Amino acid sequence: MQITQVAGFLGCGKTTLMLRLSKELAGSGERKVALVVNEIGEIPVDGKVMEESGMRVKDIGGGCICCEVASTFAKTVYGLYRDFKPDHVLVEPTGVAVPHQVKLAAKMSSRDAKIVLGPAIVLFDATRPAELLDMDMLGQLVTTQVKDADVVAISKADSVSESELVRTADMVRALNEEAEILNLSSFTGLGLDRIKQIILEWKE
Amino acid sequence: MDAPEAQAAGCYTEHGVSGYGIAIKLRREDPMDEAAVKSIAEAMMLNIAQKCVERGARCIGHIKSHVRTDSGTIKSDTIGVTHGAFSTGHLDHAVQDLYMAVNSIVQGMHQDEVKQATLDGIHEIADTRGLSVTKEKEHAYFDEFDFTASKEQYRRQLEEQLASMEDPSTSE
Repeated sequence: MQITQVAGFLGCGKTTLMLRLSKELAGSGERKVALVVNEIGEIPVDGKVMEESGMRVKDIGGGCICCEVASTFAKTVYGLYRDFKPDHVLVEPTGVAVPHQVKLAAKMSSRDAKIVLGPAIVLFDATRPAELLDMDMLGQLVTTQVKDADVVAISKADSVSESELVRTADMVRALNEEAEILNLSSFTGLGLDRIKQIILEWKE
Repeated sequence: MDAPEAQAAGCYTEHGVSGYGIAIKLRREDPMDEAAVKSIAEAMMLNIAQKCVERGARCIGHIKSHVRTDSGTIKSDTIGVTHGAFSTGHLDHAVQDLYMAVNSIVQGMHQDEVKQATLDGIHEIADTRGLSVTKEKEHAYFDEFDFTASKEQYRRQLEEQLASMEDPSTSE
């Protein structure tokens, strides 16, 4: 059971990608896919939207899985392993979660469940790079998210110009030289095949 | 004026991010079709975002809503006034009742301010669009909904949930 997280700041398109990606990974019944979504704000809007897609969804509330409810996350992963045995679990942490802490939380479940950690895919919103990186408080958080990424998907690529995409990719590369950087549009499908390929070929 | 309540600690509060969620039932005698519902939801999202900015928000994380009706569901959200609002979903026919969940996540404001901006943003648009807010419940959702239920059962489930929210003694 591979656990892949789709992280990134609020509003960057995580839920939309999760819905598209889960269907791509599931194919026509080739793989079992489950979704875990963690939201702040106390009303699980994203979880409800995902449920309506017909996917197996576990909603975790009451705090952030990278810190406050990490043990709940580990139990949820184990519960999925025991009861559903998915090939892939896609995890959407809150928009303020730190990817390496989510990985640590997932590892907590490895005592009881046979899991493999997949890539940390971090979305970076192409429509507001300056807003995300320049602010005193959020800049530090978003920078950490990007630095923790195995893959950075520059999301909403269909909403900005080519030159803006290049500038954003340069900003991201300056923060993380190791990560693969790709352009993503969950609406047009740009980048989806590559993300699917990365997940399927990922070696821990 | 009362001092604001302390916010629960979490990685989001470390970054000055606050959230507020509410479930509401809205009604309009004149039925609303898909375009009208999307327009109302988007106007509310943008109005909440605007009110958050006016109250000092530095960044709109997101303002999201999920509208359930007995003819389908609509999801609408924004990440800020200048970014616009977007909707997805479909309604089969015009409806009078909307069961709406709103989630506001904002950076740079206390959660009490987010709450007030959210409530003001909802009620202002409801008033201008001729909707009455018949019921509302904080920090809750219309749970245990059976997606295979008939339209009639669907409506009954939502009404029962709202009733139990108002009077917890009626819930199991």
